[in-house]
Amino acid sequence: MRGPAVAIGLPFLLFCGLIAAGFLMPGWLRFITLIALAKGLVVLSLMLLMRAGLVSFGQGLYYGLGAYAAGLGVNLLKVTEALALLALGVAVAGAVAWVLGFLLTRYREIFFAMLSLAFSMILYGLLVKSSALGSTDGFNLPTPTFLGFAFAGTAARHALFVLTASVAFAAALLLHRYLGSTRGYLGEAIRENEIRVEYLGASVRGALHVKYVLSAALAGAGGALTAVATGHIDPDLAYWTTSGEFVFVAILSGTGSVAAPFLGSFVFEMIRTYAFAYSPNTWQMVVGATMLLVIIFMPGGLWSLFRRRPRLVTRS
Amino acid sequence: MLEVRDLQVSIQETAILHGVNLVIPPGAVAGLVGRNGAGKTTLMRSIMGLIAGIRGAIALDGQDLAKASPHRRAHLGIGYMPEDRRLVPELTVEENVLVPAWATGSADIAQRLRWIYQAIPEVKSFAARKAMQLSGGQQKLVALARALMTGRRLLLLDEPFEGVAPALAHRLVEVIAGLRADNLAVLLSESDYTHSAALVNQLFVIERGSVRQA
Repeated sequence: MRGPAVAIGLPFLLFCGLIAAGFLMPGWLRFITLIALAKGLVVLSLMLLMRAGLVSFGQGLYYGLGAYAAGLGVNLLKVTEALALLALGVAVAGAVAWVLGFLLTRYREIFFAMLSLAFSMILYGLLVKSSALGSTDGFNLPTPTFLGFAFAGTAARHALFVLTASVAFAAALLLHRYLGSTRGYLGEAIRENEIRVEYLGASVRGALHVKYVLSAALAGAGGALTAVATGHIDPDLAYWTTSGEFVFVAILSGTGSVAAPFLGSFVFEMIRTYAFAYSPNTWQMVVGATMLLVIIFMPGGLWSLFRRRPRLVTRS
Repeated sequence: MLEVRDLQVSIQETAILHGVNLVIPPGAVAGLVGRNGAGKTTLMRSIMGLIAGIRGAIALDGQDLAKASPHRRAHLGIGYMPEDRRLVPELTVEENVLVPAWATGSADIAQRLRWIYQAIPEVKSFAARKAMQLSGGQQKLVALARALMTGRRLLLLDEPFEGVAPALAHRLVEVIAGLRADNLAVLLSESDYTHSAALVNQLFVIERGSVRQA
């Protein structure tokens, strides 16, 4: 069993290492890592639902909502602070999820997956038809301020990296604590046997509703950070292929740890970048083949590489 | 006191229970005897709120249970022991017993656990073992202990003696008989009279979804 010093110290060291690496790595790699961290938050949100036995094929809804909330926060409300834009993305995604949660938590399996997909496509349809929001072109965002400081150029990109890494680290840490609590474990209990959860005294729908809102808030944070990082948003953020990509990365990552989604997200972005560079016409095939290999050889996802294997009992 | 009045239950449009009436006062152990498929489990699950679309009235100490969502019934003092035990295999015996206390946020967890260990000392003796390491009969004892964690007013025991070795079944009978002193209403089901005959104060016979008091 790991001691508390290792359990808390190791992730913190990794976080400090990531921040330091952000200052040293070339610009293209820093950008890819930043996007991987932002999208990793969305994958983390899927992991939370998957642990409760739910697979959402519509997480693009909250990813898109978070991004558009941040974008409209800048353009309409004239909010320039990055943290405020992030909070706006989280709040809007969480509020919409709270309303939709009353309906969606009634459904399971393919019905939940399809219904969540339907809601994301409704948002996509609304965004595409809305000329005030730039229709299919979307719109641009200026660089925000960070805690009141207006950075420009490379300094702004560094600040954005530090912000994204800090949000990802804080979200992973909080979710780790949540998953280790009684309410967190309810997810696995619900996945195993819903009836047992009810007669033992916990509300299945109540627990799923909380998880659904938390999951949306995480995805909204990922969307807001992506919007701020790329400086541009368009309806594709809510399109079903974007949602499918998150599910793809969640399976690639595995659900063993809150660190897995970030690792999986980074590996996915790297594979896609190199596949696109070396094989621009067939890059999807490379990504698909990678997925196939992971499913065959690592059914528990990439994180299974870090799991301790049970010791063999040997006779002396 | 449990009161069931004119309970009618259908599952996928097939009528399972037809106008069931029964009253179990506190401190009484009631037996529900019937063949497989007669509706024993359906009646237990209906009282626990695990079956939707039921008609009729179910009340505990005058409180209408229809207004309580299924998970609230554990908070109201009803303990349910399903036929197939349904322990969490990876958790220890003590953790399994404590799960409902965590779910309901009971204030007197330690006190209740002590009382359970006094009533069923065997459970204390294997408290640290994983549930998966126990025999079927031992698991029944743990499932009973878990039901007792929330079952402070009413205990629903679905086929507690099914598949249990005679010695352990005898022990279960002793434990259940001992609960009479705690003013608990107990409803237990069995497919024949083997174990419940000497145990119960009231006997209900269920046949094709109809219940009559014997």
